[in-house]
Amino acid sequence: MLQQLGTTQATEGRVLVVDDDGEILSLVAKFLRANGFVVATARNGAEMKAQMQAAQPDLVVLDIMLPGTNGLDLCRSLRAESQVPVVMLTAKGDEIDRIVGLEVGADDYLPKPFNPRELLARIKAVLRRSRSADSAGAPGSGRLIEFDGWHLDTLKRELTDPTGVVVDLSSGEYDLLVTFLEAPQRVLSRDYLLDATKNRTLDVYDRSIDVQVSRLRRKIEAQGELIKTIRGAGYLFAASVRRK
Amino acid sequence: MRRIKALWGAVRGLRFDTLVARTTIVLILGIATVQIVGLQTYRASLSADLSDATERRLADRLLTIKRTLTGLPEELREDAAHDLSSGAIEAHWSPDERAVEADGTNALWVDLQARLIELAPELAEGGLIVGAQGGESPDPHVALISMRLVDGTWLNVSLLSWTPRIPGAPQTVMVAWMIAAVALATAVLLVRWISRPLGRFAEAANGFYTTGRVAAVPETGPYEVAVLARAFNDLQDRLARSIEDRTQALAAVSHDLKTPITRLRLRAEEIDSDPLARSIAHDLDEMERMIDQTLSYLHGDRSDEPMRPVDLVAILETVTDDLSDQGGVVTLQGPRAAVISGRRLGLKRAFANLVGNAVKYGGTARVSVAENAAQVTVTIDDDGEGIAPADRERVRLPFVRLESSRNSTTGGFGLGLTIAGAVIDGHGGTLDLDSAPSGGLRVSVTLPKPAA
Repeated sequence: MLQQLGTTQATEGRVLVVDDDGEILSLVAKFLRANGFVVATARNGAEMKAQMQAAQPDLVVLDIMLPGTNGLDLCRSLRAESQVPVVMLTAKGDEIDRIVGLEVGADDYLPKPFNPRELLARIKAVLRRSRSADSAGAPGSGRLIEFDGWHLDTLKRELTDPTGVVVDLSSGEYDLLVTFLEAPQRVLSRDYLLDATKNRTLDVYDRSIDVQVSRLRRKIEAQGELIKTIRGAGYLFAASVRRK
Repeated sequence: MRRIKALWGAVRGLRFDTLVARTTIVLILGIATVQIVGLQTYRASLSADLSDATERRLADRLLTIKRTLTGLPEELREDAAHDLSSGAIEAHWSPDERAVEADGTNALWVDLQARLIELAPELAEGGLIVGAQGGESPDPHVALISMRLVDGTWLNVSLLSWTPRIPGAPQTVMVAWMIAAVALATAVLLVRWISRPLGRFAEAANGFYTTGRVAAVPETGPYEVAVLARAFNDLQDRLARSIEDRTQALAAVSHDLKTPITRLRLRAEEIDSDPLARSIAHDLDEMERMIDQTLSYLHGDRSDEPMRPVDLVAILETVTDDLSDQGGVVTLQGPRAAVISGRRLGLKRAFANLVGNAVKYGGTARVSVAENAAQVTVTIDDDGEGIAPADRERVRLPFVRLESSRNSTTGGFGLGLTIAGAVIDGHGGTLDLDSAPSGGLRVSVTLPKPAA
């Protein structure tokens, strides 16, 4: 079971996948390896604890419906011991509210049946966020991001305007906004934005970044310009951003 | 004329199949029978009493006349007899008897004779004849009583119209019928009171059907009704349990399908052929949508999502953008924002279903938003064939799909509108189906705005 982790710098990162379904475990591991990750696996809480020592993962993918130990308790105990980011796999509906409500410390969650590409995108986003927080030395694990009076809850994936009204975002708009919020006051090229937000699914309907940006602007710029177009270079998020 | 018509209408409007009406009819017939029989019996006993009294009086009078005449000299007797005559009694004195002995066929005279002897034995001393008048063509209604005095002469008394007439008693009859009416009214009220619990059964049954929640009937009232209520409540409980079991089974199956679908998605990633991977992904999307719809239908709109101020236009933008990204022809018109109090995910699901249906069945979807101080109205028009007015109620029911749409390419299985309706309902809004000006379907949704 113990997967020797490579030490090559070319990897996207080290991920520990915890799931009691052997098939899903090996399929996810295979999929993530194919996408450049070094992957360790565990089937239960005990194996997970052992792998945390042995594999030193950068991120844990945790199925909440593990037998024996409650997945939520497992996440909480994990969080008590380390700062490693956690992406939870859950059933839809009530459990999501429980994760959010219980503050078990997950960084993101994904309802089953998840799209593998969605999982990949979430893992990358969480890793990117934790790395940028590490390098900035700031307590970056907070799930609330504030800008210009707006609040983005990255766990609930919910945006509220300065008056407290919930403004719905499509998943593309959400990804774009998060990408902007991770690098405020910096010019981001279209290629960078496309790379950060692309290919969640196998859909052929990917819209250009310009369309996505204009859709996002329509929703968040009622009070004034937040996203500046930099001719020939890309876009810049003008407001200052605070994590809570 | 109009009044008669109105009256006839009122009569026709009466229901004769209700428990109260039927009981009333039974009561009326019963009371009428009792009243009629009672009156007849009363009349009979009254007439018996009356003839007894008349006979006593007759015996007394006859005795008086006989004694008076016995004590008088012969020349005064005829005058005295005449003086003592009055009303139905006419007395004469004569040397011989006038009455003809009844021949036994006339029971009336025989009876009268027996009664008179019984009441005043003194009358018969010397001889007493009760019979019809002697001579040719005797009047059968006139009785003649002849009594022999001590000296051998006869006192003849004719009785006119000897059948005591019972005086009519209209007051008695009226009182009797009034008592009957009061009894009837009381009985009707009692029956209504007794049958009222039965109404609760219909209420509970309808409530159970529409809300799916057990509404126990109070187990009170008359014994039979209480027993029925207990059985009815048991039945409701068993039904609810059975529905609950099936719901859980369906939910469990839907839920458990998620793991194999997840595996399939992961396996599909390993397929090199892009078109194949894409078509598999498409099928998986559809399966996932069905499971989602089933689970959200089974769970209803009871999602734990709290009601919050939410921008409806942003939700509609997401929905219409997603659909046009998938190749649909969708337009959105209206204000830049419209804030209501609601549940973002529930509303998104509802409008994704409604606008998605318009694209799927109607080719295009024209969404427009209008708001006033009290509410926001969202209108979704399409260019399809619309839905016939007769089908508009039915199509809201779960798992109902109209014939024209029942083919595999359109997908879905009849929960979209049901779920949307439940969500809108849970927001205190309305969802109406109508014809669009283009001839397609128009779906109008109104959602109340929070009180300022």
